Amino acid sequence: MMFSSFKNYWQKKGLKDERFTFLFDDPPPDEFVVFDTETTGLDSKKDNIVSIGAVKIKGNKILTNEALHIYIKQESLISQESIKVHRIRNCDLEGAITIEEGIERFLYFTRNRTLVGYYLEFDVAMINRYMKPMLGINLPNKQQDVSAIYYDKKISLIPQGNIDLRFDTILDTLALPRLQCHDALNDAIMTAMMYLKLQHSHSLR
Amino acid sequence: MMELLKNLQAYPPFSLLDIEAIKEFEYAGQIAYYPSETILVEVGHAFEMLYIIIKGRVEAYHDDELINVYDNHDSFGGIEHLKQHPSNERYIVSEELICYEIPKHIFLAVCEKNHAFRDYFITSLVDRADLLKEKQEYASMSDLMIARLEKNLLHDVCIVEYKTNIKEALEKMEAQKVSALLVRNHEGYGIVTDTNLRQYILHKDEQEIKTIGQIQTNPIITIQEGELLFNVLLLMTQHSIKHLPVLNDKSEPIGILELIDLVSFFSNQTHLITVQIESATTLEATIEASKRVMVMIGALHSRGVKSRYIAKLVSEINKKIYTKLFYFIVPKEWHEYCALILLGSEGRGEQILRTDQDNAFIFADGFVPNDVEKISLSFIEALDAIGFPRCEGNVMVINPKWRQHVAEYIELFDIWVEHSTPNYLIDMAIFFDSICVAGKQSLHTDLREVLIYKVQQYPILIRHFAKSIENFDSALGLFSQFLTLHKEHKNEIDIKKTALFPMIHGIRALALEQGIGATNTYERIKELNNNGFLSREDAQDMIEALEVINTLRLHTQLKQYNSKKPISNYISLVELGKMERDLLKDALKTVAHFRKIVSYHFQLSMVG
Repeated sequence: MMFSSFKNYWQKKGLKDERFTFLFDDPPPDEFVVFDTETTGLDSKKDNIVSIGAVKIKGNKILTNEALHIYIKQESLISQESIKVHRIRNCDLEGAITIEEGIERFLYFTRNRTLVGYYLEFDVAMINRYMKPMLGINLPNKQQDVSAIYYDKKISLIPQGNIDLRFDTILDTLALPRLQCHDALNDAIMTAMMYLKLQHSHSLR
Repeated sequence: MMELLKNLQAYPPFSLLDIEAIKEFEYAGQIAYYPSETILVEVGHAFEMLYIIIKGRVEAYHDDELINVYDNHDSFGGIEHLKQHPSNERYIVSEELICYEIPKHIFLAVCEKNHAFRDYFITSLVDRADLLKEKQEYASMSDLMIARLEKNLLHDVCIVEYKTNIKEALEKMEAQKVSALLVRNHEGYGIVTDTNLRQYILHKDEQEIKTIGQIQTNPIITIQEGELLFNVLLLMTQHSIKHLPVLNDKSEPIGILELIDLVSFFSNQTHLITVQIESATTLEATIEASKRVMVMIGALHSRGVKSRYIAKLVSEINKKIYTKLFYFIVPKEWHEYCALILLGSEGRGEQILRTDQDNAFIFADGFVPNDVEKISLSFIEALDAIGFPRCEGNVMVINPKWRQHVAEYIELFDIWVEHSTPNYLIDMAIFFDSICVAGKQSLHTDLREVLIYKVQQYPILIRHFAKSIENFDSALGLFSQFLTLHKEHKNEIDIKKTALFPMIHGIRALALEQGIGATNTYERIKELNNNGFLSREDAQDMIEALEVINTLRLHTQLKQYNSKKPISNYISLVELGKMERDLLKDALKTVAHFRKIVSYHFQLSMVG
């Protein structure tokens, strides 16, 4: 705790844009933002963000009516390989915004809320890659990873077990509906359902 | 648009909305999570939301009584919003709930613009009332089926001594306005009806006939007071009689039941058909009369008679048809040395519509049936003419395998038992479900006992036999949602594979193991309950589940038949009302529970 507020202090000192000081306010206890990014690849140093999807959780509700779903303009054409993965074609990027505007909208949406995601580290690294040059800081928000929460609950049942942390496996174990279409927003919504359910379940099968 | 809303749009009433309306929901709706036991709405409180279940289950209670259950894709709260009415029930989450919530004012605004959508909620209220009414009518129908023989149905008895002069007896009959006379003999009673009088008039000059005792029918068929009317009907159709003396518990006659009165309870078609078949003197007349069975089934079903009773009646009539054909077609020399048996579902007496020809001959050892080829063929052709489809598995007397001598059948049993390949196990199953309808009964009875004995020598064999209940997956998923089929059978389930077969076969395996003689599945369940294998509750649940499954199946098949479509076992869930769907769901749950019992009992997980 000490350490993290210390770190936050240094982060705050590095913030280049005063509009975003709200990022360092104490997070509201029962509000979260679940987000997911679609990228051109899996290398957070090289690849680009194509789309960001995010929903807020407040208490027991997922506020899908306030969802954020943005597409980012690309400097070069999206490669064949990555289109196969995220199914976002170049023509789907009409109405897309610049990455700078995207990051700002994301931050205004998220504010100081705790971030939730599936393998969140990657998505956070993706955001940071753009945010650091823009604002001088990385995302300072608290973070919770559903795969980690799931692992902790599951490992207590099978201590020596090999835990399958695939997205679909977690959905099945938690008996959640699978939304066929994988885009950033749908994945964020499914992750939000996982999170709510994990918070309320005492034991897993 | 969110995928979630696309999913929503696949089901009524949301399928009635255009994209604009769905978007309004998208801008206002939220996903909510509620743990089990959460009370969503209390009695007397107004709904804040329209709830649409994504996953989970909600139960509605009124004074501790369960009124309704809502599952995936169901919605609730709509009617109350439209009627501006507080909730009459308490809504409780019974299985962890993830639902989509749409605020009341948005729902009402969308209703205002989309009348078909609004009407769905209002008419579904009417439908619900209709369903309820239908259910009550159905209940009173089933009351009819369980009605018992009571005195108010009976005509007074008119009894005369056997020594009474015929004229005197007839005068008494006329005075008392009865259509049948009971004749008291030294031992027991005889009866005199129009038939006897006709015989008397025809033959009175040839023989010396003076007393009523000389023209009576004796012994007579009687029945006890309090018997189920349905059984009475069966008895009268079986024997083709119009007058039935009814006795009290001291075996004294208390009245005469006339068929015409019974007929006012049931369709007289059933009787008509049996009489026509019975009295047919040519093969052609038999075939003509038999064709009318379909009409009768439709009439009985539309009156709400339970499918198992229809099946019983139909199999009774089918037996008569087979018997009649046997005596018309099969030469007299065969009768003492040959048994005609029905196998499989016909043997169980459970076929209703598609009465496939499943039949076989058993010949006594040493008997040489002449012209067997030709006779078998004309037998099958007569059945073709009536409209019985041929058996796809070729279980028919035209197949040499199914017309053999006793010793040859026993050799066959040995092969079945020894090799127990899937095909042999199927043969075993259908033979185990066989009954004899004509010819020398004992040939069949003995042979079937041999089979049961042989099978019981190999306990492992019965386990292999039972294994095939695991061949088809249940139509219910882990969370009690229907698992429907795809492509041309979208939103349908195969009721035979997923429900009927596991039930019938599981029961058959248990019956075989326990050496139960009955072939009918309902009877077998009762026997399994009597010998303590099944608890009373389980047996009751299973009979009800079987009834629901068979009724829905019959209902669908009649529809297919009437619209001249091929008859299949696919049931469309979209065409079922919520109540029927709920009933079906409960039935499938019972089937799943029973599968567990069977698979545990035979330790099927260990059977390869």
